[in-house]
Amino acid sequence: MLKDFQKFGKDLFYRGLTSSHGGNMSVRMGDRIFITRTGSMLAHLEERDIIEIGLDEDDSHIMLTSSELVVHRAIYQNTSALAIVHVHPPYAVALSMAVEGAIIPIDSEGSYLFRKVPVEQTASTVGSEDVAKLAAEILREYKIFMLRGHGSFSTGPVLEEAFQWSSSLEESCKIYHYTKTLQAAQKTIADSGIGELEYRKHTDDYDIW
Amino acid sequence: MNGWTGKMLRVDLSAGSTSIEKIDEEILKKYLGGRGLGTYLVYTEVPPDTDPLGEENILAFCTGAMTGVNVPTGGRSSLSTLSPLTGTIFDSNTGSQFGVRLRWAGFDALVIKGISPTPVWLEITAEGATIHPANELWGKEIPDTISTLKERGTSTVSIGPAGENKVLFASIADEKGRSYGRGGVGAIMGAKNLKALRAKGKEKPGIANKDIFDFVNYEASKMVTASPRTSDALPEFGSSVLVNIMNEYGVFPSRNFQRGEFETAYKISGEKLKEDYLVRRGACWGCPIGCKRVTKTKDEKGEGPEYESIYALGSSLDIDDFETIVSANYLCNRLGMDTISCGATIACAMELEERGKLDTELSFGRADLLLKTIEDIAYRRGLGDEIAEGSKRLSERYDMPEVAMQVKGLEFPAYDPRGMQGQGLLYATSNRGACHLRGNMLGPELLGAPKMLDRHASSGKAGVLIVMQHTNAVIDSIGMCKFVNYAIGDDFFARFLTSVSGIKYETQDLQLAGERIWNLERLYNLRAGFTQKDDNLPPRFTEEPLKEGGSAGHVVHLDEMLTEYYRFRSWSADGIPSEKKIIALGLDTLEMEQEDA
Repeated sequence: MLKDFQKFGKDLFYRGLTSSHGGNMSVRMGDRIFITRTGSMLAHLEERDIIEIGLDEDDSHIMLTSSELVVHRAIYQNTSALAIVHVHPPYAVALSMAVEGAIIPIDSEGSYLFRKVPVEQTASTVGSEDVAKLAAEILREYKIFMLRGHGSFSTGPVLEEAFQWSSSLEESCKIYHYTKTLQAAQKTIADSGIGELEYRKHTDDYDIW
Repeated sequence: MNGWTGKMLRVDLSAGSTSIEKIDEEILKKYLGGRGLGTYLVYTEVPPDTDPLGEENILAFCTGAMTGVNVPTGGRSSLSTLSPLTGTIFDSNTGSQFGVRLRWAGFDALVIKGISPTPVWLEITAEGATIHPANELWGKEIPDTISTLKERGTSTVSIGPAGENKVLFASIADEKGRSYGRGGVGAIMGAKNLKALRAKGKEKPGIANKDIFDFVNYEASKMVTASPRTSDALPEFGSSVLVNIMNEYGVFPSRNFQRGEFETAYKISGEKLKEDYLVRRGACWGCPIGCKRVTKTKDEKGEGPEYESIYALGSSLDIDDFETIVSANYLCNRLGMDTISCGATIACAMELEERGKLDTELSFGRADLLLKTIEDIAYRRGLGDEIAEGSKRLSERYDMPEVAMQVKGLEFPAYDPRGMQGQGLLYATSNRGACHLRGNMLGPELLGAPKMLDRHASSGKAGVLIVMQHTNAVIDSIGMCKFVNYAIGDDFFARFLTSVSGIKYETQDLQLAGERIWNLERLYNLRAGFTQKDDNLPPRFTEEPLKEGGSAGHVVHLDEMLTEYYRFRSWSADGIPSEKKIIALGLDTLEMEQEDA
């Protein structure tokens, strides 16, 4: 299990899905949860960074667990998930603040995988009971959702799948961003008179070159 | 003036006189109040060769700019003096509401000197201090004393029989057992024939910039709520949340630090306390964390025990009978004794017995003798009279100083430094002796707060520790609790102080103030005769590796860390602050005055 945490932790960081000390992961084993330590670096996890605690009951290890434990617990208690990944993917976070209700991927892969990704918001975000309630409800129906301006929570039967949802969502959001940026840029080019410049003349004729 | 009241109440018990004085505003700005102000007062008013139990020693109760202000954990105050246990400058810190009431009465400091010819108690109001006879209170335990003096809108702290009998680790406590706990401050009150102090005040401190203050407070509350330590772990289990964790790391001391783990730690853990003894959570004034435990045994109700008390009265004595430990904690609170030094000195006696130096029934595991032993200490009966002198003196009396787990005369708290190199350096360099409250490395070495360091590495620890020592000096001086530091840091303290006082403090200003306080304490101790040789640990920690548990095979590499530490501090290889450093901290004038004196 430690190897899985280390492998996907590294991938999450090096793929730019979270910052050096951001994000957390967990795995459920029966009535126990193994969750990353608060403040741990996902790219550099060691044995001491994986904390075992009860699914329902606190014990002294709550001193060490991720501040999002309350959300992880609520998800496990209300869904069949056995693994959870929570990260702060920048493109998805940015897009969550620019759309209402849901992110609808425009790329083929994202469309097949997600159809849509709900975007919700709460007054407080970190380690919040409100988020816990919301996550437990939404993730009964979806595999991933975005907390507006904060990050994604994704689930799966194993860490790899939860990782996949996070990674794929970020890719779809990147494509969305690039597409919209390019579309806006094209409009700008068209409107700017740049097409009158000598080197841009006959641009439309290049397809017969 | 915002931030401080600018007033100090003075009481001379020998003369039977009281007066109110102004405090120089520049002193308050430089030393912040609380521990910083107390350090300044002891440094300038108590020559280090003073008899700690004599007329000339002072008790300087000091409040900080946040004491009694509605910030998270703004209910702390501090008591500075020359310790009879350690002979060092000493400050003892509490969450008792006494400090809040003192501040609301309009005083940054209450300074008591002299010795009353007969027992007295002191009433403090906005008008000043009144000395009352206390013949009828003398001999009473702390809760009885306080219930006699109880009055609406007041807070009272008192000594118990231990203070009256000048037990060198006697404490001063309120009705809930919240104490100016360490260093024998209760013995000084006893020597002064001062039984109790009652403060009445209701004038809440002004805030210079309310809008900024409210915003910083809002942000701080968010951080406290977001941290699992301050919002879950400490509220749910209290400080005893650490028992099982420290045991897993192999740094939970048992049998007087002969071992770093305790097989039956689970029987005396935070979980067990919650399951079998907890009535409800308790909190100091203004604290949203609420780590205090209101507990009950089959015979009694009280507060605690804290993590440190569980080690001192439990694992260190090889006792896992939790009912006895909880009762022993209550008893120490009633009689007025520091549970850490009390338990650690009993552990020292037990090891002397084990090694054949002391002929007594008191041996490791004898839970049946614990309560009687504590009473004997408080009333100085039999062996209790020898234990009442602390572990350093006790072990020297039996010619075996190596079994006293102390630094500069102060007994160790509940973290074996062999599993935490930086903590070892902290104990050795702390100005008041072996103490975890001067820059605890628990966070960075074991909990990952703010960041996780390699706990067995020695190189690089000095710099981190020094920053933490300064931050802790600041927290003690502004009147907040160190637990809040798990959620908020220096930047919040600076913004709180700025918005409350109206004076701009940047984070680095606070670090400088912390460094100034630390160095002034050091200069006092040097004048008192302490040297680099006293920045040391018992040989057990540097020469005897732990044999089992999570820290097996390790010793503290003190010498190399100490060299680095002095260099970081710009001190000489002998541990003396350089002239350049003294000037940079603005301590040169003070030093010259003391040399002239």
